[in-house]
Amino acid sequence: MQYVGEHLWAADLGRGLTAFSFIFSLLATVAYYLKGDEWKKLGRLAFRLHAVTLFGLIGLLFYIMANHYFEFDYVWKHTSLDLAPRYLFSAFWEGQEGSFLLWMFWNAVLGVILTFTAKDFEGPVVGVFAAVQAFLVSMILGVYIGDMHIGYSPFILVRELSENIGLPWTQFQDYLTRFPNFADGSGLNPLLQNYWMTIHPPTLFLGFASTLVPFSYAIAGLLRKDYKTWINSALIWSFFSVGILGVGILMGGAWAYEALSFGGFWAWDPVENTSLVPWLVMAGGAHLLLIQKNKGGVVPSALFLLILSFLLVLYSTFLTRSGILGDSSVHAFVDLGLSGQLLIYLLFFTIGSLGLLLYRYKSLPKKVKEDAMDSREFWMFIGALVLLISGLQITLSTSYPVFNTLFGPDGFITLYSENKVLSEPIAHYNAIQVPFALIIVLLIGAGQFLSYHKTSKALFFKRQIITLIATTVLTAISCAVLGMWNPMYVGLLWASYYAAIGNFEFWMRWARGNWNVAGSTVAHIGFALIIAGSLVSNANKDIISQNKTFIHEEFPANENLLIHQGDTVELGEYWVSWSGQNEEGIYLNYELEFFEEQDGQLSKLFNLNPRIQLNERMGNVAEPSTKHYITKDVYTHVTYADMRSMEEQTEEEWKNQFDIELAKGESHFLYGKYEVKLDTLVVEAPNAENGPEYIVLGAGLSVKTMEDSTYKIMPIYAVQGEEAQHVDAEIKELGLKFSFDRINYDTNKPVITASEHKEAEEPFILIKAEVFPWINLLWIGSILMAIGTVIAVVTRIRRS
Amino acid sequence: MKNSQIAIIIAIAVLIGYTLVRLGNSSTYSSFDQATAKIGEKTTVIGYLNLEESMDFNPKTVQFSFTAKDKNGNESRVIYNQPKPQDFERSEEITMTGYATDTAFIATDILMKCPSKYNEQNEINSDQIYK
Repeated sequence: MQYVGEHLWAADLGRGLTAFSFIFSLLATVAYYLKGDEWKKLGRLAFRLHAVTLFGLIGLLFYIMANHYFEFDYVWKHTSLDLAPRYLFSAFWEGQEGSFLLWMFWNAVLGVILTFTAKDFEGPVVGVFAAVQAFLVSMILGVYIGDMHIGYSPFILVRELSENIGLPWTQFQDYLTRFPNFADGSGLNPLLQNYWMTIHPPTLFLGFASTLVPFSYAIAGLLRKDYKTWINSALIWSFFSVGILGVGILMGGAWAYEALSFGGFWAWDPVENTSLVPWLVMAGGAHLLLIQKNKGGVVPSALFLLILSFLLVLYSTFLTRSGILGDSSVHAFVDLGLSGQLLIYLLFFTIGSLGLLLYRYKSLPKKVKEDAMDSREFWMFIGALVLLISGLQITLSTSYPVFNTLFGPDGFITLYSENKVLSEPIAHYNAIQVPFALIIVLLIGAGQFLSYHKTSKALFFKRQIITLIATTVLTAISCAVLGMWNPMYVGLLWASYYAAIGNFEFWMRWARGNWNVAGSTVAHIGFALIIAGSLVSNANKDIISQNKTFIHEEFPANENLLIHQGDTVELGEYWVSWSGQNEEGIYLNYELEFFEEQDGQLSKLFNLNPRIQLNERMGNVAEPSTKHYITKDVYTHVTYADMRSMEEQTEEEWKNQFDIELAKGESHFLYGKYEVKLDTLVVEAPNAENGPEYIVLGAGLSVKTMEDSTYKIMPIYAVQGEEAQHVDAEIKELGLKFSFDRINYDTNKPVITASEHKEAEEPFILIKAEVFPWINLLWIGSILMAIGTVIAVVTRIRRS
Repeated sequence: MKNSQIAIIIAIAVLIGYTLVRLGNSSTYSSFDQATAKIGEKTTVIGYLNLEESMDFNPKTVQFSFTAKDKNGNESRVIYNQPKPQDFERSEEITMTGYATDTAFIATDILMKCPSKYNEQNEINSDQIYK
């Protein structure tokens, strides 16, 4: 059948490009694997063609999304007519297919760069890239073999979805114009409509893609039994990876802190954890390469960490995309049914690479002479080991859902009868990771004062005398200012300062400000500040919103403050008032004014506008608003609010409507408080002017209170034919209203509806406010770490 | 013995030690019945909101209570001393971490899954088409 208005050329072209891209990547893998210059040239051509077709299909997907071809499932799901063009990128990688494409894009870019720079190692290195790309392209292939499908194409039409095939509406040639559903797509999730979604995923995926370079060099080295020539190239790439992946992860933290109300920048969510772990392992691997280059003797462990870092990226992909995290994470992808394919991808590279490492293990160069305990390389090795252990711990704890799937009650082999789950994840990770962090920063500091080979004790201490004094003084001052005396925290803060100051002193005094080593100095100081900033801002986080209007001993100290509209209430050292709310697009903005008290006078400090996003797809979401000072942040978000408009909230209401049926002389006990009696029923005779059917009924009621005062009232009921009118009677003092509703024709008794007045409630909101001291250390540290790695990479490229 | 080997052995010992400690650190998924059998012990229950029972939120005390049904169909009153989560009524599945008491389940942490989170409104189905 010929359908009207479909852009089938785009579907055909898209699927064609996907297929070609897949075939070229396979061809490149095989050709690069075979020896000989001709094969190598063919491999290079195939890989570049793979990249070109891939870029083509990415461009095509952008094109159909920008032009709103809603017959495409991916376009319909992720865009809408009102989507601002600046969010097109966010929409592109909102779904699994698009984010796979983003990952492949970076792999292809890096792979093409390597076809120029890898020289002698091009064959095996780009060959590994081609193999990885083949697996990734297969995820968007969308080919069916019998009932089994390989990949999920972004170029599939809505009518081609398996759940839609054969449905009656697909029989209409003009279904696109006939059914209004196709006029507009469902659009990008409003939660993701912000600039973070534009910059965080590409950076993170470049970081993921970059872990493949050292991995490929490691595999290439193992295949060729060459453990020398590639070390320097891999070193540069591994530091590139540490830098980019680090920035990508920190951007995610900044997003969570600035725009989402997770209550901080790091929540130990599985998705965060599984992106942190490859970074930890890559940082360890990069430093092992540094030892190998300067001293040698760590080939086996360096290979292991470089390989593991990439494998952990694959594991992370598997966890977040297979749906296995389900209950335990707030932001995993929806399951596309690719878990089998993802598992094959993961297992292929895990078994392949670790198998190769094991197979070659005997022939790997080992240490000739043991490292001395007072050498830099020994402690750097220990540092890398601690990073690895730290990463493995996070991986184990994040893998509960996997263990449950494998060994739980419904698992493959049942080892325990109840699914397990971490009870206090944040406390759990902090308790274990803080000591690891302490060792790492301590080593970052001490390592600077150690030389390769050996260091004399006297020299080691002489070198750092100023650092030790400055660190101790600064720590004492900080702890006194913050009132932070937990020994573990004091130790970690001391060690972070030690690392930062030590690196700076070493660079100034012993490296004489040499820019060739400035990269590591700046990056190390940055890392130390990140640790110090995270520690201080979290350990001394002060929840200043405590509800003081009502605290019952049975309830835990409350972290939410109730503010009535127009009231000014105390909030920590501030006073805060809430003036009202206004609706702006999909946002409800709450205007908070902050004051400080000076000599009994309130003077205004600043405004904050936390808001609630009215998100039909995910439910309403609170967005925080933060006042940034140099030494602290005041962070607020609305934890409860009435979603109705101000007018609706302040409207008077009648509640507890209750029907009473009374015969003359009968009485009824109402609301447990009042006695209502029907004294008399007045019936007015028909009035000639209004027509013969016009009847007016009045119920003479007396309402007696517990205090024995009696009110007499008469609600009126007027009927003319089918039409009825009510004149209600109100007792203002009691807050009661009576309405003569009707006559019950079965019992012939009047029916009176009573209702109680509900006090017009003043609108209120609950807010949670926290002060994060010194959180700027964290952001300054992040920026320094990024700058430092850039310097390190650039100076190393120049030198080689 | 070489220094690096000693370091590796220590590292492995730490990891094993940690794994053993961790076993005590975890709690389990259970039903309301299982939770009530071990009063006061921390556990996680996955259940659904029962909309037929009342849902009360008192902003003054910041106490939210509702009735949930677990996967076995057993019901329990749940008390949550936090503001009522946004769009709670729309939740499809609720993961409640907390402990049972003799009258109610006290939730310290609640994670909800909304049906529309990624999928539902995201599908064109035939019911919608003919609306």
